Amino acid sequence: MTVAAGIGYALLALGPSLSLFTAVISHKPFLILTLLSSTLVWLMSLIALSAVWRGFIPFKTAAWWPYALLILTSVASQEALRFFLWRLYKRMEELLDAFADRVSKPRLLITDKMQIALAGGMGHGVAHAVFFCISLLTPAFGPATYYVEKCSRIPFFLVSAMIALAFVTIHTFSMVIAFSGYSEGNRTDQYFAPVVHLAAGVLTLINLGSGGCIIGIPLLYGMAMLTLLHCGKLVWRRLTENRRQGNLY
Amino acid sequence: MEGGSILETIGHEIIGVMSPVSICMLLVVLLVYTVYNPSSAAATTTIRTAANLVYLESPSDSTAQKLEGAILNAVVFVVIITLVTFLLVLLYYYRFTNFLIYYTRFSVFMIFSVMGSSILISIIQRFDIPVDAVTFSVMLFNFTVLGTISVFSNGIPIIVKQSNLVVLGIIVAAWFSRLPEWTTWVVLVALALYDLAAVLAPGGPLKLLVELASSRNEELPALVYESRPNVGRNSGARDSSLGLLVAAGLGMSGDNNSGSVELQQLWRDGNTDNRTETRERDHFAIAVGENERTNGVEIEEVREDEGETAPLMGDGDLTERWSRRDNVDNSSDGNRVPQGNEREAMEMEEMNARGIKLGMGDFIFYSVLVGRAAMYDLMTVYACYLAIISGLGCTLILLAVCRHALPALPISIALGVIFYFLTRLLMEPFLVGASTNLMMF
Repeated sequence: MTVAAGIGYALLALGPSLSLFTAVISHKPFLILTLLSSTLVWLMSLIALSAVWRGFIPFKTAAWWPYALLILTSVASQEALRFFLWRLYKRMEELLDAFADRVSKPRLLITDKMQIALAGGMGHGVAHAVFFCISLLTPAFGPATYYVEKCSRIPFFLVSAMIALAFVTIHTFSMVIAFSGYSEGNRTDQYFAPVVHLAAGVLTLINLGSGGCIIGIPLLYGMAMLTLLHCGKLVWRRLTENRRQGNLY
Repeated sequence: MEGGSILETIGHEIIGVMSPVSICMLLVVLLVYTVYNPSSAAATTTIRTAANLVYLESPSDSTAQKLEGAILNAVVFVVIITLVTFLLVLLYYYRFTNFLIYYTRFSVFMIFSVMGSSILISIIQRFDIPVDAVTFSVMLFNFTVLGTISVFSNGIPIIVKQSNLVVLGIIVAAWFSRLPEWTTWVVLVALALYDLAAVLAPGGPLKLLVELASSRNEELPALVYESRPNVGRNSGARDSSLGLLVAAGLGMSGDNNSGSVELQQLWRDGNTDNRTETRERDHFAIAVGENERTNGVEIEEVREDEGETAPLMGDGDLTERWSRRDNVDNSSDGNRVPQGNEREAMEMEEMNARGIKLGMGDFIFYSVLVGRAAMYDLMTVYACYLAIISGLGCTLILLAVCRHALPALPISIALGVIFYFLTRLLMEPFLVGASTNLMMF
């Protein structure tokens, strides 16, 4: 029974990513490699962050501002990482196009570019879910569960799985938005990802208050929905524009 | 190739190696996690293998004692491996190939029957599976015989062979992951260093072995996982894609490369023209000297690099041809067999039959590392898995650049060990502190 619960939590956090992985990514080796390397890069950034913050955690005070500072620095570093990934991707794209010319295959289509961005974003999202949720699930397979004092109605594992799902969605699709923003030079899309990421991080601060998770999680899902909608609209617009121009590159 | 974007064609060979390694690691982690959990009874009995001959770790020893004992163990283990590998080279040099093959079969039989049954029994005990002794032994015998036959025989479907090798890797890795903690870490590092020396240093035993095998144009008499490319005419173009991409990345474009494109097109079209063509083609082979506990690993890449090649028979499904390397000056006489003044100058090779080869030692010691990480926490498992896989990816990319046999352990093991300790010391307190407050970002 508890094993079922543990697997359930894991699937709650990673189920959508899993289906996306099998549907889109798994039969394109290059996308799998992109996913893996983006996960690794995110993990390295997390290790660097924790090296910086290791001395201060756990916070002695009950105040919320150290956590706010923590989230601010983390989001800032991860957004810098996103920009770095974009630069890397840009060079990769040239390489791939050159390679495609040499083996006389079509160059990268716009859908291919979006899939690469999706795989990169999913790498971040999966890394987030794995390290913040799945790796803490070990006790969930045992015979008991765990409640956090501040959120005493819902088991901790369920809460963290729900939050992880929201963050996976945000990470995955905001990468598509950001990459498309960078390539088109669209300011709104470029700033969309950091703003949503920061807002989502700040929203988890509500969980510090007693019973705050009742309010914080629906708001977080609001952010996730916003990201999804924006990404859907953006992809739809670019695809129709391309089709109208008859130009797929 | 037939349509599709290039995303589907790049990286097949990498994934072909990564997926069995991932499966092996996953199963070892599950096994270690459920059966050899430190709280369960099976873990309390430490075993004595070649890897801890000198010193048997006990939890009450001081850190200095543990470290000293672990280093001694590792040194003894590596010395034994070196001696056995040299013996292997010697036997191979004097053409005791049949002896080696039968010995390897025998050790595979022993691994499957003795170690495999011990692991199966602990699984049965752990999950209270109702099975009687007769059924168990008949099934085990069947399984063992299939596993033994599938090594070194060509009549077996490749998928059976591959899965048997993965099972073999799991069994040995699960066995090794019962070593004491300190010994495991020191032995892993020592093996990575040994691997580096044995494959790359002049006179290293594995280097000798690979050179000997390639000069005789034989398969290595050792346990090697082969990821064969999809059979068919496309496979050649497919497994050269990585090298081409890397070459493009290094800016090695030039006349030769345009020539290579030309040839690939011609070849793909099944053109039977007998003219001399230049093409670039990668050919990977990873070999290992393996015996029961000896695992050295290397990746061998035989590559015809931008040399003049002339098909012996200008047919599309031709499997052998002469290749020449770095002899552009001599190439004007075209289709003749070149005078082999270098060892690599003349190589006859099969075109489609070989893919990347990865030694069983890699499988085993990657899995040992991950299995050891699984005894601490799941978080370290993920970190180590990512580190090892990316190390393997780096090695494969280096292989496309360096074009000779490469050790597959050092990069992966180094990354794995570094990530394990970073995760354990730095990241875990941070993450647990943040997420038990429901702080995420």
